[in-house]
Amino acid sequence: MKGKTEIHDFVRELLTNSGDDEPLVDQDSLLISGRLQSIDAVEIVVFLEENFGIDFTRIGFDREQIDSIDLIYALTQTTAAGN
Amino acid sequence: MQDNRAQAIIEDLLRKHPGVKDTGVFFDDRDGCVVLVVPDDRYLENISGRAAGSNVLSKWRKTFDLSQLTKEAASAPVGFNTIGWNSSYTRQPIHTDEIREWVENTVRDILQLAPKTVYEIGCGTGMLLMRIAPGSKRYAAADFSPVVLNRLREQLRTVPALAERVEVMERSADNFEGIDDDSFDTVVLNSVAQYFPSAAYLTEVMEGAIRIVKPGGHIYVGDNRSLPLLPAFESSVELFQAADAMRADDLRTRIRRREEREQELVLSAAYFLSLRHRHSKLSRVDIRPLCGRADNEMTRYRFAAILHVGGEIKASSQEEFLNWTECKWTLSEIRSMLMAHGNERIGIKHIQNSRIEKDLAALAILRDAEDELSAAELRQRLEQTPAQGINPQDLIDLESEGLGFSVILSWAACRLDGSYDAYFVPKELRQGITSPAIRWPEPEAREFMRLANAPGQGKMRNELIAQLLTHCSRQLPPELVPREITLVDTLARRGGSNIDS
Repeated sequence: MKGKTEIHDFVRELLTNSGDDEPLVDQDSLLISGRLQSIDAVEIVVFLEENFGIDFTRIGFDREQIDSIDLIYALTQTTAAGN
Repeated sequence: MQDNRAQAIIEDLLRKHPGVKDTGVFFDDRDGCVVLVVPDDRYLENISGRAAGSNVLSKWRKTFDLSQLTKEAASAPVGFNTIGWNSSYTRQPIHTDEIREWVENTVRDILQLAPKTVYEIGCGTGMLLMRIAPGSKRYAAADFSPVVLNRLREQLRTVPALAERVEVMERSADNFEGIDDDSFDTVVLNSVAQYFPSAAYLTEVMEGAIRIVKPGGHIYVGDNRSLPLLPAFESSVELFQAADAMRADDLRTRIRRREEREQELVLSAAYFLSLRHRHSKLSRVDIRPLCGRADNEMTRYRFAAILHVGGEIKASSQEEFLNWTECKWTLSEIRSMLMAHGNERIGIKHIQNSRIEKDLAALAILRDAEDELSAAELRQRLEQTPAQGINPQDLIDLESEGLGFSVILSWAACRLDGSYDAYFVPKELRQGITSPAIRWPEPEAREFMRLANAPGQGKMRNELIAQLLTHCSRQLPPELVPREITLVDTLARRGGSNIDS
């Protein structure tokens, strides 16, 4: 099971690939702020499916669920607890 | 040095670079030395280390799948599921009234083509289908997202009368397997092409569509993002979002990044016009700005292409067009002109488009502005810029004023100033023809050189251009080093090796 550091590194890489070198803190909005685009949300979802076993077809999807590193981490924790 | 000799030296040098598949150099009076390069796709991929093509499609498929897994999607009204329609400016959902107007105008335009047998590519949750299928004999609807199609099937179950004439198919846009030649009178792709990975993929789709449409039919490709106006769009979004204190140099950086990050396929109308020369089955192509009163990115920056399949080319002899830029007529002056010439056709070209004139003015100011200019100061300068143009919808609305004219607009000329052309036809001369053939002003030859962007490839293409300029500056005398290099998809050669410009 990966942790918050891996999530942070993954998001940082996504931002860098988008040309965004601004500082990143765990509370920063990623999708609603427009720092990442909707197609980038797919990268986060695939990362969560592959590394945390989250099944979005079962739990549903809302971009607010994955809008910051804190929220993504919380999702991995609640989903893991649910399992 | 003579142009021919310089041309040969530059071409030879560029061909030695591994990132160059083909190149063409020519000289013109306006731009001097013009250098075009067809990049080597594998080299580009190696620059970025990213896979292209199918990867892009699978990402978009997953994006649409996810959008329909939300609670809002589950409770969306039948035929009006607007989930995912967010404004690039506010990043918030576009107001449903604006989407409703957009849908209704699109449906009206398609119904004018009198569709009876329809194949819709990228049907989504059925916003068009639910409105067009009731009047058709057969409606086949394809989409690549299984979750989206499940939503559509749920909605269709609530309208049993449609079920027997609608066939839903999960397949990619380029898959025409099992569809006979000339088997539909209308193919619709609306707000779909921007999710294709490349112009080459779009061309495969268009070739399939042309094959399955019977003579006399149409292909409606709606809601395409405009490539000539992409810089104005990108800068308008960044300016809208900029804090008052943001400096012009920061804004320019953000705009450049936005261009590099562009993930969607953005098209020139010239792409569709060029299809006429490659497909004898096409008799004509009309390009229209989108109708609508709403002020949003669709009405400002998107166009529809209507491809006419088969049939005679009945365009009249070259129409005369008055040039709007010479007199800058107001709407009321155009109205008076129509009243005074009740039984004559009147064409006006180069009409300034009020929907985007502020955005274009902002782009022009920003390009030349000193680095320290703030976004607030830029906005102030824009406030002082007088508005002169005419909203295309104002001209369309003249039709309902009882002046006796039909109004037809064209955006085929692909001008960088976003201007459009209008034709006013006395209703008694129209003789029931829904879409009269008009010889519209067309793009200059140079517009046929850049037909589409390369989604997601901005950064690597800029990197290749930088490499090529360095390659030239190291090995050529200074007077021969090109100032700019333009990457293109293909080079059209005429006869020997001359570029067909």
